[in-house]
Amino acid sequence: MSESPENRSVAVSIDHLSKTYPVPFLRLKKFFRRKFKPPAEALRDVSFQIREGEIFGLIGPNGAGKTTLTKIIATLIQPTSGEVTVRGNDTVRHDVQVRRNIGLASAEERSFYWRLTAEQNLLFFARLYGLSGTEAKRRIKTSFEMFELEELAPRRFAELSTGNKQRLAVARAMLAKPPVLLLDEPTRSLDPIAAARLRSTISSLARDGDNRVTIFLTSHNLAEVEELCDRVAIISKGEIRALDTPHNLRATHTRNEEVSIVFSPDVADDVNLALRQAFTDQSFTLERASGDERWLLIFSREAEDERLDKVLNVLHQTRATVRAVETKRATLLEVLEQYEENERADTGGKRS
Amino acid sequence: MVLLRRIWAFVARDWLVTVSYRMQFFLRVLSVLIAVTTLFFISKIFAGFTDSRFAEWHDPLAAWLTGLAVLNYFMTGFSSLANAIRQEQMQGTLESVLMTPISVPTVVVASSAWDFVEATFFSLLYLIFGWLFFDVHYRGSTLLALAFLFLTTLVLSCLGILSASFAMVFKRGDPFGIFLGTGSALFSGVFFPTQLINQYAGSGVANISKILPPTYGLDGIRRVLIEGQGFSQVREPFVTLLVFLAVLLPFSLWVFGRAVRRAKREGSLIQY
Repeated sequence: MSESPENRSVAVSIDHLSKTYPVPFLRLKKFFRRKFKPPAEALRDVSFQIREGEIFGLIGPNGAGKTTLTKIIATLIQPTSGEVTVRGNDTVRHDVQVRRNIGLASAEERSFYWRLTAEQNLLFFARLYGLSGTEAKRRIKTSFEMFELEELAPRRFAELSTGNKQRLAVARAMLAKPPVLLLDEPTRSLDPIAAARLRSTISSLARDGDNRVTIFLTSHNLAEVEELCDRVAIISKGEIRALDTPHNLRATHTRNEEVSIVFSPDVADDVNLALRQAFTDQSFTLERASGDERWLLIFSREAEDERLDKVLNVLHQTRATVRAVETKRATLLEVLEQYEENERADTGGKRS
Repeated sequence: MVLLRRIWAFVARDWLVTVSYRMQFFLRVLSVLIAVTTLFFISKIFAGFTDSRFAEWHDPLAAWLTGLAVLNYFMTGFSSLANAIRQEQMQGTLESVLMTPISVPTVVVASSAWDFVEATFFSLLYLIFGWLFFDVHYRGSTLLALAFLFLTTLVLSCLGILSASFAMVFKRGDPFGIFLGTGSALFSGVFFPTQLINQYAGSGVANISKILPPTYGLDGIRRVLIEGQGFSQVREPFVTLLVFLAVLLPFSLWVFGRAVRRAKREGSLIQY
């Protein structure tokens, strides 16, 4: 029997984390009366936990604080206040220990040595992880197989396509088999097929029995986040605005869903009339669908209300045959847009 | 063992990058040969020079070649640490290197290891070309000369750590580099005896050479290799270098620790 995620131990804990980038040489600037920008607040009181084997997504607009948060977990930036621990190790006090437990794959192309081959690059990083020559070569071979990069091993990094460079970055992050993986837009430059394969690999890493990897994923591809992540946090202006499963986030955001029904034969006039009689509001759209005598009826309803049942009755009474029914709930994109809109409204309110 | 593996990783990486630019390597070898040949002809102007005050300079070609070889090494000790950080920052690879379980001081030391390998090669090249083509002979204890070389390089590495700290925080415009890079060639006796500074510029200016570690390193190495002096005769510059090391090593490590913390606080570790 598989263990439920809530019972698993905490892999990454973020506790009241804040980060304000200080103004460099503030005293000197004040002394010489030089102009300076105010300190930039990148994160404000961020707290959440990620369980072992969980795929956790972080989404938000540009400048929301995603990169800062990732880099703090990766020990590259120190927080102003609060604490981040990775498998119990504090990112400031035990940074080397933290780095033993994490792998970071960023979308940054310049993070490799362009004059070296793909294999030489990975060998260099494997040695930095302290792997012996034999072990390093074995792991590199496995990584190349896993990410389908075998043929590119002897090619210089500079000669690789952007997508392959990105796959190599993920392969590098996995070299030391870290229990926690930080992925910054892992499929940004991949073609759809390669992206789907990588998503499948990511998913399998987190579900791999006793060796499951905890994954912290930031992405602008919201469909990808919906597909992969167990939970998603929405960050904006350095604050976590919402955190839940993708399903719950959509449901909390709006209970409305759009229903599309394809019917035939050509009884659109009868259907229209019957709908006018059956419903007081007339928010129905009727248009021709592809295919002979097929029509498309679109309307919205609150999830699980009786509206769909009533519409189906109307169609039945008008002797229409229902060919297909599709319902569309809000996507994470809409949820994110809603949060951004609320924020703009808040900011506008304050200004006025 | 793991530390050695990591240092080896950097050396192997830089070797591979170097051999990918073969032409540049051969041009550097050629430039050393041209410099040695040029100095040989200039030295002929001073043929028969026998001022007893400057015993190290009776064979100016030997003095210059020793000076250049040693200066090349010293400057590597001094500049390679800061350059290592700057290079990784500019390439954009510092972040991925720092993501491995390796401490920042290890990154700095290991990534400058290849520079020392290269400097050893080119420093030896000055001496070998002098010996092979221009009949320059060295005497005295090679071991003692190497001890001087090692000690001076260590002292300069401490200044290099200060320079790297500067690069970490200010990114560019390192004052240590300007002071030591140009100052050593002028005040440390690379091309002429330091006593001449006193004679022509006064004791105030001459005192500058006394605060530069390369002055003592060069003096010691020349006295050993050219004059054949033993340890008892070169004890003074040796002890002076030890004092420099005792003061600079803990100070530079302390400054470096603070610089790394500051860069991490500002989030500017990988900026250049």
